[in-house]
Formats: sequence, structure tokens, C-alpha cells
Amino acid sequence: MKYFPLIWAALRRKPIRTGVTLLSVTVAFTLFGLMIGLNATMDMMAQRAHADRIWTLARFETTGLPITVAREIAKLPGIRKNSVMTYLQGYVGDPKNRAFVLFFDDEYGNIFPDQVPPRQADLIRHERTAVVMNRMAADSLHKKVGDRFTIISPQTSRADGTKNWPVRIAGIYDDIAQFPGPMISGNYAFYDESVPLAEQGKINEVDSLAADPAQAPALAERIDSLFANSGSPTRSQTEKQIFSQGFGDIDAPALTRKIALIGLLMLVLLTANVIAQSVRERLAEFATLKAFGFSNARLVTLVVAEAAFPCILGALCGISLARWLALQLPTVLPPGTGIPAPTMTSTVFVWALACACGLTLASTVLPILRLSRLDVAAALSRYA
Amino acid sequence: MSAIRQVAIVSLLNFRNLRQRFWQSLVIVAGMTCVSGVLLSLLAVTEGMQEAYRNTGDPRSVIIVSHGSLREDNSSIPRDQARIIMNAQGIAKAADGSPLSDSGFVAGLPVPLKKNGTTSYVRLITFGKAGVALRPTFHLVAGRMLRPGTHELIVGTLAQSKFKGMAVGDKVTLPNGQWPIVGMFATGDLLDGVLVGDTETVLQAMRHNSYNTIVVRLASPDGFAAFRAALTHNPLLTVDVMRLTDWNTRISADTAAFFHVLIYGVSIILAVGALFGCFNTMYAAVESRGREIATLRALGYGSFAVALSVILEASALSVAGALAGAMIAWTLYNGVQGSMGWDFFTLTVSPAMIGMAVLWAIAVSVFGGLMPSLRAARWTVADALRAR
Repeated sequence: MKYFPLIWAALRRKPIRTGVTLLSVTVAFTLFGLMIGLNATMDMMAQRAHADRIWTLARFETTGLPITVAREIAKLPGIRKNSVMTYLQGYVGDPKNRAFVLFFDDEYGNIFPDQVPPRQADLIRHERTAVVMNRMAADSLHKKVGDRFTIISPQTSRADGTKNWPVRIAGIYDDIAQFPGPMISGNYAFYDESVPLAEQGKINEVDSLAADPAQAPALAERIDSLFANSGSPTRSQTEKQIFSQGFGDIDAPALTRKIALIGLLMLVLLTANVIAQSVRERLAEFATLKAFGFSNARLVTLVVAEAAFPCILGALCGISLARWLALQLPTVLPPGTGIPAPTMTSTVFVWALACACGLTLASTVLPILRLSRLDVAAALSRYA
Repeated sequence: MSAIRQVAIVSLLNFRNLRQRFWQSLVIVAGMTCVSGVLLSLLAVTEGMQEAYRNTGDPRSVIIVSHGSLREDNSSIPRDQARIIMNAQGIAKAADGSPLSDSGFVAGLPVPLKKNGTTSYVRLITFGKAGVALRPTFHLVAGRMLRPGTHELIVGTLAQSKFKGMAVGDKVTLPNGQWPIVGMFATGDLLDGVLVGDTETVLQAMRHNSYNTIVVRLASPDGFAAFRAALTHNPLLTVDVMRLTDWNTRISADTAAFFHVLIYGVSIILAVGALFGCFNTMYAAVESRGREIATLRALGYGSFAVALSVILEASALSVAGALAGAMIAWTLYNGVQGSMGWDFFTLTVSPAMIGMAVLWAIAVSVFGGLMPSLRAARWTVADALRAR
């Protein structure tokens, strides 16, 4: 600690340089935080996904499933509850204002209390045309509780021949991190009664709750084999399996790690250069210290401390900035992307600090080598 | 001495002694290499996808979807409307006098990928009577054409290479049984990544009774406005009418726009980092050459020439970095096969994209070099000469 004034003086010698170095470290760690934070969010979602929930869809999505599939699944031993759900794709006013509505039965709210708050699920239970939505959906459609509006679905006609679905907002709830993106939920009975007779009793998805989570993957296979040779083959997976798959073909975690790494590599060059320069300019100073009897180890400590200041402070600032940006992200990104916001978990934080330390060491290697080989007499004479 | 000549001479001097500042200058180059490498590598995917969409679809064709549809699979055209559309005026006629119009359906079929055996979706599209005539680049490369009305499929060359069990003679599972693949075709565009079946037969298998889209060829290219007006003003129809190329461009632009937010976000953050690097390096360069600059000024070189030469040096280094990054992105990704959802395409690093990276480099160096250059210009000769 007693050498703190020395380090402080070194940092203040070129305040602009120190400031800019600090800023660049901050920027690089902002990127680092956002990228690794995104991975943290995806890991968290995979962890939080319920192992006992089974999602059953039509193997050929365009065919949908007859509602009897749900009844057959309910008969299977080991299934505690199940519910049916169907989707409506449409828009409000202009095709750009997309609206995607999940219509589900009463049991759904009990199976997915973490997706739709139970009190909100109650609101649509007793009112045919009621919908509830999360904040993101309400904001993107500029709606508030009590508003009535019409969803136009180019794809799904009603029995009356129109494609207009009038709904009323019964409730709006806060966004839920586990299920990002705008969400609108409605009453399945309303949907089923509205479509033409030939389309009634069709659903998109059966969601079941297994009594024993350990048996869920086997149950999912059991469901698929049950309907394998029927007219409506299914594709069932546990929620855990679905959330562990990531984004299809794109290996998102590898990509974000790569980008974070490139940002750090760029930074190593930059800070290494700054430190090297600072040491080069002060060779005479270091020679003097050495002449006073400072050991090599002590000089090394001084240089490392000088580098550590912008690296570690910058990492802290960068992660804080990333955290702030992550909070703004949902309002900036176009709605409906379903990209989760990065989370600055303690793991991200620890990784950032570890990388900041690594960065400090990597950027001081060359200057330290130079210092340890420093010829005191030569350095003093050249710069005296 | 003219200002331009001054700038040229001072810049030349800068470049000559660049070797002494080799490592420091490398920071600017490497920084910009990272920025442009990341930017172009990521853009190569969206650009390749957009390029593939731009190249797909006969420019003479017009597509009709239900009003407000953003993609083919959320459009739905009932049979009664389809009949009116397919026989509308202004559609070109085939040799037998029937209109060149075709209704189609799209669906995803779950099949395992060759790569790792995981289940992915292959796109199944359908041809009616005019399906082949409306796609001039379509040609069979193996087997034979499917027979309408039968449970037969033909496969695109790319789909065949991406998915398991897609060779001629293999069978694909549809809801109502196993359909044999009887032929393989190539079109040189996005259709190479799909399976094709007969419209009415597939509709029946998928238990659907309405089409997704209708594609027609106009009798005259100038007839588009009138054709569209006739359909959109018809009270029996609720449809959007678009040139097929415009429709494809719009779909790909929608998808790309979403990724562009992320790609540009990441690249801008990296570029800000590079900008600070550039700033630091140029600042150090100016400081270490204080005496040299003062001497120049004493000799009569203007402060503007000195300032501009600093920015020029930064730009040259930065552009070199951008080109290096572009080179890396090009070597790694240009021409590589990629996919997004069920579209298969070739990643592209186009000259226009490289040009953009160079512009980014110039912007970074101008902003990064501005303060150091002003500093160089503001030094009074006496102070600078006294500096160590």
C-alpha cells in the first residue's frame, strides 16, 4: 500500500491515456458482459425449464391434432394433468403489428403458473373474448386494460366467414424472463366455437404434467409411440429437452463466446501497447528505483498494479454498463424476436474479473521482461 | 507551397518513419481487423440469405397471398377465391391455352440431418399443373418427374445433400404413409433445398383445404398495375398481389433486419473499442514526434497540413486493418454453405460489404485521430521544440 502514491502518480502522468484506456476496457467488457450474459440467460432458462412438463405437438405441424389426442394422453398412467392449446397468428390494424395468441383451456393455467400468472389465467376463464397479455405485448400494440380491438388473422377464418377476431383485454402482467417476447393468451372455448364446424376440435398442442419428472422423457416417447400409426402422429418433448436445444442450427453459446474473445484479444493488444509505452517512457524512473534498491519483483508489482487499475475498474464499469444495456434491450429490439435479455449473474461477474486479471498479466508480460533486463547504468545515462 | 503538397509531404514523412512505430501502429490495424472481421463474418450469413432470396423467383411471376400475410405459411387462400385469381385477366397462357397460374402449399416435414442425425425440418412445397412452367430454371438431374395424383415426391439437390434418406428411391414419411422420392431436380436457387409434391395430393395428406399462395405469370410485364388493381378491388377477394421478386426481397429483408440489429450492435461496440485504440496510438505518435512536428512547423508547414497528415496516417492503418479483417472473413466464410431455418444458401462476403467495412475504418480513424491531430496542430513551435 505504501507504494500507492507511486502508482497513482504513474496513472496521472498521462491522464488522457489512462482515461482512454479505461474507456476501451469498459467498452470491451460491456461487449463481454452482453455476450456471456446472454449465455447465462440461456443456461438459466434451460435450468429453470420444468422437467415434468411434456409438450406434445403434431409431427406434421400443418395438420394440427384432434382434441381426442389430449384425452388419450390423459389416460396414460403417470400423467397428472393435461391441457390443450391452439395458436392464432394475426395482426392488429397493420400487418406489421403482429399478434400471436395462445388459446388454452382451464387446466393450462395450473400447468404453466410460471408462464401466465394464475390470477390472469382466471380472468380469461369466465369471459369468452377476454385476453390477457404481458407488458411487452401491450406496449407493442399500444393497448391498456379494458381496450377492445380486433385481431385479423390471414390464415384462420371464423364460422361467419370473416377473419376478424374481436377481443377485450382483461389483464396485463409483467414480462416473465423465462418466456421472452410478447405473449397474448385467450380462452380456447371461444376459439373453438368461432371456427367453422369442420375445424372445430382441432388443437396445436397438448401440454401434460408428469407425476414423476424422471419418467417424463419416457412418457414423451410413450405418447409418440401411442400415436405413431394414427392419423395424427405426434412429436413430444419435455420442456427441459426443448430449452436445452438452443437456437436450431446456430450454436449461439459458441458464437457469443467467440465474439467476447475477439473483443478481449483486441483489448490485450491495446492495453499491452499502452503499458509498454508507459514503461518505455519511464525507463529512467525505473532505473532510479532500481538504483535505490528496489528488487525486480517490486518493480513488477508496480507495473502490474498500474495495469490492473484500468483493467479491473474497466471490467467493473463494463459489466455495470452491460447490465444497464441489458435492461434497455427489450425496448430497443423489435418485439417478437424472442431473444432473451442477457443477465449479469455472479458467474458472468467472476468470469469478467478473471479475464480482467488475465488481461492485466497478458498486457504486462513484455514490459516486465524488459524491466527485468534493464541495465541501470545505461538507462540512467541515456535519459539523464 | 500549396496545402495539398504540404499534406502530401508530411504524410509521406509519417509513413516513412512508421517502421519505428511498428508495434504501436499495429494496434490500429489489429483493432480494425477485429471489427471488420466480426462485422463481415456475421453479415456474410444474412447477405448470403438475402442474395439467395433475390435470386429466387422468375421476375415475370406475380404472387398472390391473403391480405396481411408476412410469410407464405401464414397466408391462406380458399378454393373459391383461388379459382377467380387463377383465371383472372392478364395472365399469360400456356401452349394449350390454359392460364400459367399455379396454387401452392408449404409445409415442414421433420427429418434427420445428415450432419448429426438431429431432427430438423425440410420444406415441402407443391406444384400444380403449371408448377414447372412457372420455374424456368427447373430441370431434373436424376430419376423422373412425379406423377400428379400419386404419393410421389421429388427432391432438390441441396435438400438431398443436407438430410438423411433423401436419395431417389428413399421414402419420406407423410401423415398418410410413406411417399417415395422418384426424382431429383436443380433450380440453382432456394428451391434446391426443398421437397416438391403435387398440390392437391399433398393438401389431402395434410388435411388442408385451402392453398397458401398462388403464383402466376403475367402476359405482359407492364400489366402488373392493372392486374393488381383488378384483384385487390375485387370485393370477392381479400388478397395482396406482389411481384414474386419483391415478395422474396421483403421476406428476406424482414429476417435480416432482426439479425442486423444484433450484428450492428456487436460491431459498433467493437468499433468504439477500436476507436479508443486508434486515439491512444495516434496520441502517442504525435507526442513522441513533438520535435519533428515542431521542426516541420518552423520550416513553414501549416498546422492544417500537420493535422490532416495525422488523420491520413490513422486512416491508412485503419483501412489496412479493415481489409485484413475482410480478407479473413472472405477466406473463412465466402462460398461456405449455410442455413437459416429451412433455407439453404451460400454465405457471401460481397465487394459492397468490404466497401462498407472500409468506410467504417475511415470513420473510426477520423474520430479517433481527430483529437490527436488537433493537438499536433495546436502546439506552438517553441513549446514543441522544447518538449523532450
